[in-house]
Amino acid sequence: MEQNDTKQQHYESVYRADRWAKRFITAGGYGIIVSILAILLFLVYQSLPLGQNASLKHLLSYPVTDTGNQVLLTGSDSYMEIFYTLDQAGRLNFYHISDGSLVLAEKLPLGEGEKLLSAARGSLGRDVFAAGSDSGRVITAEISMTAVFSDSGRVIVPSLDIEETWTAESAGDSIPNHIEQLAFVQNEDLSRFWAWKDHVGNIHLRIYDADDEETYQHTLQDYFQNLTVTAMTLSHGGDNFIAGTQSGDLFWFKLDDFESPELKDTWKSTQNAISSLQYLLGDQALVIGDNQGAVESWFPVRTPANWLKFTQIHRFESHPAPVTQIYTSSRNRNFLTVDNKGNVKLHYATTGQTELNFRASDFPIQAAGLTPKSNGIIAVDGQRQFTLFQLNDPHPESTFQGLFGKVWYEGYPQPEFVWQSTGGSDEFEPKLSLIPLIFGTLKGTLYAMLFSVPIAIMAAIYVSQFSPHWLARAIKPTVEIMAALPSVVIGFLAGLYFSPLFEEYLMGFLSVFIFLPVVFILAVLIWRMVPEHHRTRLKPGTELALLIPVVSLAIAISIWLGPTIEAVFFGANFQQWIFTNLGVTYETRNSLVVGFALGFAVIPIIFTMAEDALTNVPESLSSASLALGASRWQTVRRVILPAASGGIFAATMLGLGRAVGETMIVLMATGNTPILDLNPFNGFRAMSACIAVEIPEAPVGGTLYRVLFFTALLLFVFTFVINTVSSMIGERLRKKYARF
Amino acid sequence: MVNIQEDIAVTTPTEPQEIPAAKPFLANERIVIETQRLDFYYNPEAHALKNINIQIPDKKVTAFIGPSGCGKSTLLRCFNRMNDLIAGAYLTGKVLIDGEDVYDSKIRLEELRKNVGMVFQKSNPFPMTIRENVTFGPKVNGITGKDELEEIVVSSLKQADLWREVKDRLDASALDLSGGQQQRLCIARTLANKPEIILMDEPASALDPISTGKIEETINELKKDYTIVIVTHNMQQAARISDYTAFMMLGEMVEMDSTKRIFTNPTVKMTEDYITGRFG
Ligand SMILES: Nc1ncnc2c1ncn2[C@@H]1O[C@H](COP(=O)(O)OP(=O)(O)OP(=O)(O)O)[C@@H](O)[C@H]1O
Ligand SMILES: [Mg+2]
Repeated sequence: MEQNDTKQQHYESVYRADRWAKRFITAGGYGIIVSILAILLFLVYQSLPLGQNASLKHLLSYPVTDTGNQVLLTGSDSYMEIFYTLDQAGRLNFYHISDGSLVLAEKLPLGEGEKLLSAARGSLGRDVFAAGSDSGRVITAEISMTAVFSDSGRVIVPSLDIEETWTAESAGDSIPNHIEQLAFVQNEDLSRFWAWKDHVGNIHLRIYDADDEETYQHTLQDYFQNLTVTAMTLSHGGDNFIAGTQSGDLFWFKLDDFESPELKDTWKSTQNAISSLQYLLGDQALVIGDNQGAVESWFPVRTPANWLKFTQIHRFESHPAPVTQIYTSSRNRNFLTVDNKGNVKLHYATTGQTELNFRASDFPIQAAGLTPKSNGIIAVDGQRQFTLFQLNDPHPESTFQGLFGKVWYEGYPQPEFVWQSTGGSDEFEPKLSLIPLIFGTLKGTLYAMLFSVPIAIMAAIYVSQFSPHWLARAIKPTVEIMAALPSVVIGFLAGLYFSPLFEEYLMGFLSVFIFLPVVFILAVLIWRMVPEHHRTRLKPGTELALLIPVVSLAIAISIWLGPTIEAVFFGANFQQWIFTNLGVTYETRNSLVVGFALGFAVIPIIFTMAEDALTNVPESLSSASLALGASRWQTVRRVILPAASGGIFAATMLGLGRAVGETMIVLMATGNTPILDLNPFNGFRAMSACIAVEIPEAPVGGTLYRVLFFTALLLFVFTFVINTVSSMIGERLRKKYARF
Repeated sequence: MVNIQEDIAVTTPTEPQEIPAAKPFLANERIVIETQRLDFYYNPEAHALKNINIQIPDKKVTAFIGPSGCGKSTLLRCFNRMNDLIAGAYLTGKVLIDGEDVYDSKIRLEELRKNVGMVFQKSNPFPMTIRENVTFGPKVNGITGKDELEEIVVSSLKQADLWREVKDRLDASALDLSGGQQQRLCIARTLANKPEIILMDEPASALDPISTGKIEETINELKKDYTIVIVTHNMQQAARISDYTAFMMLGEMVEMDSTKRIFTNPTVKMTEDYITGRFG
């Protein structure tokens, strides 16, 4: 009875242990799935905003008081707390955005009855502007809206500084000079450039050189002959002036020499009158709006004859009415176009996309603008109605086309796949094509696999099928040590030690590919001449010892003959030869070096798994084959390799997965140049290395940051697809050949 | 670990020794296989065959019987040198097939094994189609003609009494056959090489009675054309199909004689005890 009780207890404890083990193991299994899913979800979550379209939210609208019904200019501070309006009477009023209450009322110094006809902002960073009146007066002034921090919080204090006032010389007749249209720029050196059209239609230019405090004045009318100028823009640096005419002709002046503006080029963009012109951030791209509502971007492209020619890059969504104003963003290649019916469109110049299309008002818009941080759009319409929209467009450059398609970037001769995420200045246009990175990953993987797959599989065949036991016992742990080598060490050795060595003995190394097979075949031929009974007396495994002098001989011959070959075939300088003949720049850290280094990391993975697969082929199969009179090699080729093919395939795929994801080696052993070129003598930039290099520099939440997360997601998908496909094919191969 | 290597040392006795004369019961037979003072060691401690002198007649079925571990398989594998695969094993003495020493260095191993086919205890078809299984041997031995191969497939399968069952699915996987069919396929595969001798190591031990019967029928058919050496634990089977029987014990050849004689009136008492099931 007592015995039964203890037995009972014993079984209960066994069952309890079983239950716990089961729970524990199940939890572990689910844990893995959950954590992988969590990583995947996190990557998706981080990269999803890239796909978001620009969105707009109407925040508020109200009529502004104390302003005339013709508003020429509007703008706001960077906190979007205050905005200003400049009206025809010269009144400059500042209002609280939140409730429209007047903060400050200023007035430009105008004469009795004098009216402003035109006004223009002259800088992307500062609220400096010029306004021209109906008596030829041009007033240049700067608005500042300074944030003052006190105990009660932030207060924006607006003020106005009149910088200079001058009067344009009269055309000579009795009518006072009118400044009908005005373009104005104050560049970083504080030099100022004004271009205006007078009431006769003549175009004038005035330049104030801040360096030697000189003023230059030019009349450009001779260039236009009888064409009527309808739109003008100055580049933000002040060195380009472009005028568009009634007939759709464009005139490009270079203002490098202040004393004599040079007409650089003229061209025709449309048949319609040009109604609006604007240089974008970066002073390369020019946006043209015509009186039929077309919007186009153009920038100078170097022609084969090596001169710059303005070329049409994109055509954006058209307006149903003439384009009256173009406003650029001071942060990126965004710009607003406004037509005379109250329609506003937001475009992104790099991608050629029209991101938003909305009606800001039922009346023509008199003045509008993007807020300094490009997070809002303000507009004042003909009914003195002020409207504020909140703009949410954090990643305009990351469209599908932008990430995967060819994009025509400023300064490039044609659309290309380019990865260049950061540049020297704020005006830099980020180039985020993922194609060079994907290509780089594939290129590195290709060279690594070319090097490692044959070696690893041959070694696995040799060790599992031919080598004596003692040798197999020595090789396997050696390969395991190879696998345990940290990839930093491999990358370090490859990048800092092997690549200069490789470069020095380049021709020698390359000749190995020729001499090794030659010497090998010769050795086999000589071996065949040895009488058979001498050959069979050799102990298995000693063939390998015989190979060592053969391989050494081949390498010695290669190194020895390398310089001679280089001198005879490649004009004594192989690097120079491939550059002149193939147009390839030899990089010290090139794809061959990475192929070796990455291959070195991949070999142990493929070897170990392939060796297992080969060893697992049952002995009965090879016995059957041998008993039928097949030789050792026939047995390997016809029976063992097919039976192990699933495992060998899986091994190769696992190696491929490793090569795709490997970071440190590709980071350290290549120059990380994001180029699209399969040539083995130059480098590449792999996705993994790119993430590692750039993520510390990428502002959190920015486009680059999210694009890098998206790259990580792509890598994840790559490896996932590789693994899935490999296990599927591996399973099929196993079903077909490995049912034993 | 599959280790295909011929790692075997051959030592011939230094002084010529007396070779036993042909046994009287074999007087009218042509001798195909003969061993002379054969000693086999798996390693210096494992002396598996001791001074084996045996003669195997042409176009007859010879059965090896004896208790488990007595060395039947080992002896069989000496005939086609399958023991070469075992690392560290070696032998002394001679194995003559048609008068030629198979352990001579001039012998081509592949030719020997083509000539001396082997059927294993556990059927081991290749994971290929039925057709590919049969053509494997001819192909590795250099036969490439399509018609010739097709001819071989048909005749081998017919000889192995499998043709009727598989003629409509020659391109199906061999692994989809039943155990008995697989074993007959292995016989057909061996026959495809047109060997002189077929070694069978307990070919029916893993099969049901009906399949066993079929194999036995096949063997009966084959003995017209082939010399067959079969290892079996089944006394009835030995009695039914063999012409001669050799009884082995602890690595030694106890007695060999015509099957009738062994089963009715053996010379050695131990043989009688074994056959009547008093031990083993
Ligand atoms: N690879 C080997 N290494 C060492 N000893 C072996 C090896 N194979 C067989 N032996 C030994 O050699 C002896 C003979 O074995 P063998 O397989 O020839 O016996 P058998 O008569 O065929 O037995 P069974 O009827 O069980 O098949 C046995 O004692 C066995 O343990
Ligand atoms: Mg046996």
